[in-house]
Amino acid sequence: MEILILLLVVIGALAAIASGIWVAIALGNALSNDDKKKVPTGGKHS
Amino acid sequence: MSMVLPVVVVVAYLALLTFVAIRARAALEFEEFSLAKRALPLALVFGSLAATLVGPVYTIGFVGRGFKSGFLFLVIGLAYLAQNILVGFFVAPRLRSLENCHTLGDAIEQKYDRKCQIVAGIISVGLCVGFSAVMAKAGGDVLNKVLHLPNWSSVAIIVGITALYTTFGGLRASVITDAFQFTAFATLLPVTLILALIFHLNGGAAAFTAQATTATVNGFKETPVIEIIGLLVAFFLGETLIPPYANRALASKSTHISRNGFILAGIFSIIWFLVMISLGITARIMPDIPMDTDGNRVLLSLFRTVMPTSGYALLLVVLVSVIMSSLDSLLNAGAVAFTQDIVKPFIRLPNGTALNIGRTATIVIAITAAICALAVQDIINGLLTCYAIWSTTVLPALILGLWIKHPRPLAGILSMGAGAAVSVALWILFVFDLGWEVDVCLPRVIIPGLASSLIAYFLGHSFGSIKHGA
Repeated sequence: MEILILLLVVIGALAAIASGIWVAIALGNALSNDDKKKVPTGGKHS
Repeated sequence: MSMVLPVVVVVAYLALLTFVAIRARAALEFEEFSLAKRALPLALVFGSLAATLVGPVYTIGFVGRGFKSGFLFLVIGLAYLAQNILVGFFVAPRLRSLENCHTLGDAIEQKYDRKCQIVAGIISVGLCVGFSAVMAKAGGDVLNKVLHLPNWSSVAIIVGITALYTTFGGLRASVITDAFQFTAFATLLPVTLILALIFHLNGGAAAFTAQATTATVNGFKETPVIEIIGLLVAFFLGETLIPPYANRALASKSTHISRNGFILAGIFSIIWFLVMISLGITARIMPDIPMDTDGNRVLLSLFRTVMPTSGYALLLVVLVSVIMSSLDSLLNAGAVAFTQDIVKPFIRLPNGTALNIGRTATIVIAITAAICALAVQDIINGLLTCYAIWSTTVLPALILGLWIKHPRPLAGILSMGAGAAVSVALWILFVFDLGWEVDVCLPRVIIPGLASSLIAYFLGHSFGSIKHGA
């Protein structure tokens, strides 16, 4: 029982870290998509 | 302890944050400033919602509560989980499905009429200023500990940096920086807990469980039932769909993302409460942290024990990110509500003018919040005051309006007016005349305020006429 409670706490901490990493990856994607939009795509006015 | 490292770390963090905010680009039109073009993906909606809802109370406050009363506040936190899941399933998708809707006031205008929108807008802006003042006060306190500046200048630095990127970048900059700040605190604090459990848990799992049981039993014994009811009500209703959360529901790419964002943020909140409370319980096992330590200082003491050299600097980064991620969302939500719900009903605004008004409003709200922050005495009491007003005024009319077929404008205006009148009158009576503690009088304000708001709503619904043109 004692181990189970501690295990639950550790799983909670790992889940929070995982969600932080997930959001960090999404943030990186959002910023790199912005960079792609800023790059001229060619054409006669670019 | 040398103060050089904390100063360097905090300044470097703020510089990095500013860099991320600049990368997020300036908003070029009001649609981008207010709704980030309604293109936010799930991870960013979730990260931003979670970063906004996790403020200083859910961090420093919850570690202190875990230290004093064990898992009691995890039980209370279940009300918050329930609130977010219910909003996710039943409210956020309906809100997102409304066309041309930038704010809660817009939703209320579509369901009731323009008068109701203006009232909702005034309450929304007032609430955002109130919440921002509380966050500015908390941020000023944190920065004060590092830089040892006068109180007003610490508040000015926090509010100034936050207002700078929110003014130019609008909701998108707020969401992008929220995601960055979320990553910082959602990894640093759980890592601290794991390190504490691995290297500092004298007595192992048995000691942790014993401390958790003792603290939780004491917590339930020492907390009056009325206070527990008040906290459950506050956690269930107080923050429900406040303007920054509603903006994220409206800015989601789709109704599915809006729904799932709230559900995931709710699940994250209960995980976060578990981690914070466990940090508090772990602190009880540390011989260096005496049992009579002030609740608000437990997290700092724990950081110093677990990470002696860099702990203080890391904690400051965590706290600055926790506070700024809530503050930027509030500033943006207040500015958008001001433009859309208070100015636009009177004047036809071209896109560029609306954007400029939104930016100016961000600065004015930030300055007002900074001035009010100097008058805020207590962070938790300030938050609870805002909760009491919000949950009894706009919230009932909004939720009923989204669900009832042909809602009546009279019902909306009566509901908001009655809720505001009763809750403000009771608040003045209990807090200022009788001198009661805020957390004790909270249920005595919210429950009658909510009841009067609902009674007024149904009276207005019975006697009012349907919106013209509906």
